[in-house]
Parts: sequence; structure tokens; C-alpha cells
Amino acid sequence: MARRYETVYIFDPALEEPAINEKLEKFHAQLTRDGKGTVANVAHWGKRTLAYPIKKKDSGAYVVAQFEAAAELLPEYERAVKLDEGVLRFLVVVSEGLPAKPAPAAAVIATTEEEELEEDEA
Amino acid sequence: MRRPAKTCPVCESGVRVLDYKDDRTLGRFLTERGKILPSRLSGMCARHQRQLATAIKRARQLALLPYIKGYVG
Repeated sequence: MARRYETVYIFDPALEEPAINEKLEKFHAQLTRDGKGTVANVAHWGKRTLAYPIKKKDSGAYVVAQFEAAAELLPEYERAVKLDEGVLRFLVVVSEGLPAKPAPAAAVIATTEEEELEEDEA
Repeated sequence: MRRPAKTCPVCESGVRVLDYKDDRTLGRFLTERGKILPSRLSGMCARHQRQLATAIKRARQLALLPYIKGYVG
């Protein structure tokens, strides 16, 4: 059965955009094999500082890909990603229909919440 | 004296699903050491508190949020 998934990749910051795209294409080829899946959305966040070092790197290039694929394709795909040295870390989750880039919904919660918290501390 | 029940900040903002990629929002619900704020303090409804916990844990795996804030090894 095909489901919607979402993968977040963290690439080595030393990799350039073309190199990343090349790797992505290689990974996604696994998912679109035999027409059993489609990659809908790929968003590059660019380089970001990591909250803690991974493989001695302090930053990483984040890429989010949303796709639909048959579940049986995933193990092989995950294996391919795992073996790639250029990927510091990745996470595959079932998509909850959220946008591939962090939404500005942040701002709304942020303001209301802050007031309440301060009140509580007092 | 009982304090009046707080209303869930996430419900109020109209957000239905918390995004694990949105580290700026999630970061608001961490203590200064990076622990997840209990619903007692965040005032969140049970559903959103559960969502928050998974979202923060995912964000930690992706190094969007720290496991421990301010720790110098």
C-alpha cells in the first residue's frame, strides 16, 4: 500500500548543492522504481547550525523530501541512505500533511505562550 | 484556592498539528535546560501535549533542538 512519507536529510556541510542533488536523485530513484512511488516535494533549507555536533560537524545542509511510495520500497531506500557517508543523519516519518518548510504558525503560539509562562513563574 | 484552568495555547492559535520541523515553536516549550515543559506549566491540552512530546523528540534526533541545553562536555 502506498503511503505519504517525509524524509529529512542532514548532509555534510562540505557538500555543494549539485553534489547533494545528485545524491538525492540516487536515493529517490529507489522510491520511484517500477512506478511504485512519486516524489512530490523537495525543499532545501540550506546550511544550518546543528543543536549538537554530529560526526564532529557543527552544521549541516537540511533537505526535506515528501513522497508517496509503497511500503516495501522503504527498507532498501533507507539502507541506501544509511550507507551514504555524505548523509550525517536522516529521519523518515509518515507525513502528516505539513509543509516541507517550517511554517510561520510559530509566531502565533510564540506570543500567546510567552505571556502565560511569565505569569506562571511569578 | 483553585486557579481557573488554563486554555491550551496550541488550540487557541488554531494549529491542529504541531510540526517537528518547526524548532522555533517547539523551543518555546522547553525548560532552560532543554527538558520538555510539563502540561502543568505549558497549559496544554492532553492531545497537544502528546503531539508536542513526539515533535520535540523528533526535532532532537535531527539536531534542531538540543537534548541538553547549556551543557559543556
